[in-house]
Amino acid sequence: MAQKLKETILNPILKGNPITVLVLGICSALAVTVQLKGAVVMALSVIAVTGLSSLVCSLLRNTIPNRVRIIVQLVVVAMMVILVDQILKAGEGTYAIDKQLSVYIGLIITNCIVMGRIEAFALGNKPIPSLLDGIANGLGYGLILVIVAFFRELLGSGTLFGFQVLPSGYIPNNLVILPPFALILLGCIIWVHRAFDKDLQEK
Amino acid sequence: MNTNNNVYTVIYTAVIVVIVASLLAFVAAKLGPAQDANAKAETLRQMMSAAGVKPTEELYAAKNAEILDLYASNIQEAYTIGLDGEKNGELSVSKDKIELVSKLKPQHKAILSEGEATLPVYIFKSGKAVIPVYGAGLWGPVWGYIALQPDLHTIAGAFFDHESETPGLGAKIKDEPWFREKFTGKTVEWGDSPAFRLEKNAEATGATNAVDAITGATMTSKGLNEALNVWFNAYEKHFGVGALFHMLEEHEAETTPNAEEE
Repeated sequence: MAQKLKETILNPILKGNPITVLVLGICSALAVTVQLKGAVVMALSVIAVTGLSSLVCSLLRNTIPNRVRIIVQLVVVAMMVILVDQILKAGEGTYAIDKQLSVYIGLIITNCIVMGRIEAFALGNKPIPSLLDGIANGLGYGLILVIVAFFRELLGSGTLFGFQVLPSGYIPNNLVILPPFALILLGCIIWVHRAFDKDLQEK
Repeated sequence: MNTNNNVYTVIYTAVIVVIVASLLAFVAAKLGPAQDANAKAETLRQMMSAAGVKPTEELYAAKNAEILDLYASNIQEAYTIGLDGEKNGELSVSKDKIELVSKLKPQHKAILSEGEATLPVYIFKSGKAVIPVYGAGLWGPVWGYIALQPDLHTIAGAFFDHESETPGLGAKIKDEPWFREKFTGKTVEWGDSPAFRLEKNAEATGATNAVDAITGATMTSKGLNEALNVWFNAYEKHFGVGALFHMLEEHEAETTPNAEEE
């Protein structure tokens, strides 16, 4: 049991990472990785949404009519996303970040990871493992987001979390700020990931 | 239990939707005041940044309560005007119930359709008058606050913001301080068409009411240019005469000593 739980948590972060292995949630990975701060808030929001939605759907799993299960899942996910957005807007410290992330918080609802995990895991498992699975998948997503944002902010603005780290003579690289560079970086991360994990390589 | 039965399915979805809707309504009502306070403080920060009350970074580092204090102690009066240029309302400036016209979209519509507008004017104790501008950028609205010197002709400072312009391109109107700093010392030529120009190579013409558009952000620059001119036109009746009067006064002050010498 403990072994299974451990796997539930570690698998989405490493071997079954939603972004680098399942290639889900790419769109927001491009959009919110210009700055680390935004990426971290986005990652935390996704963790909260995937975790809580999986938990609620797992609690309801035996009562949901099969024919409308996607709609019910959608309602639960939408509720969680709106809650996260409203809470971010209400916090004095998080208001500015919510403004910066603008529509992308709302678009968490379209993030394939959330619905994918509910459909694949939460509907067939008990609440606690489902909660952990949701959180772990959010973490796996967030990890990649933060790695991409680290390089994009460092090379694109010469800062980290808004603090100047590269010497002031550094000329910010505009290509890094533009969305295509996130794809290039993502490609590099997948390459490195596969190079280290032999199981992921195709014969 | 048969969960695939029609009646069960309909009742189940209805119940879920009602529960979720009431929960969200409850949360929205609970958090509403905190969200409004954040939005108000944000508007005040932008206005005070334009008016040069404090450097922008300090304003953004300050807590909401400090921002309200700062505004209350620096504002002289605030009122609204109609499209005829006449005052048509007062905005409270007392610390406990600061009133703002923070929804600019309906005002923008009123200007375009020549309807009933209540355009805000904020006069600071320094004599600077702050007015908003609002328009459509590339992906969403762009807006800003322009502070005019007491002569109502020279721009004392500006602050621009946007909802979803491209980071690194259109978003520069907010992110890059050099852009808003370019407006300082420029003029608004009331009555001219256009009153202000934010265009490619505009600075090279030597005009005092011109700022270069941002490279790579053509549509955002165009939208902001449009926003500036639409709103300056709407304020022309209110400020144009005052600015003219001020220029005449200055002109007299310059010429009078000469007359005495003769």
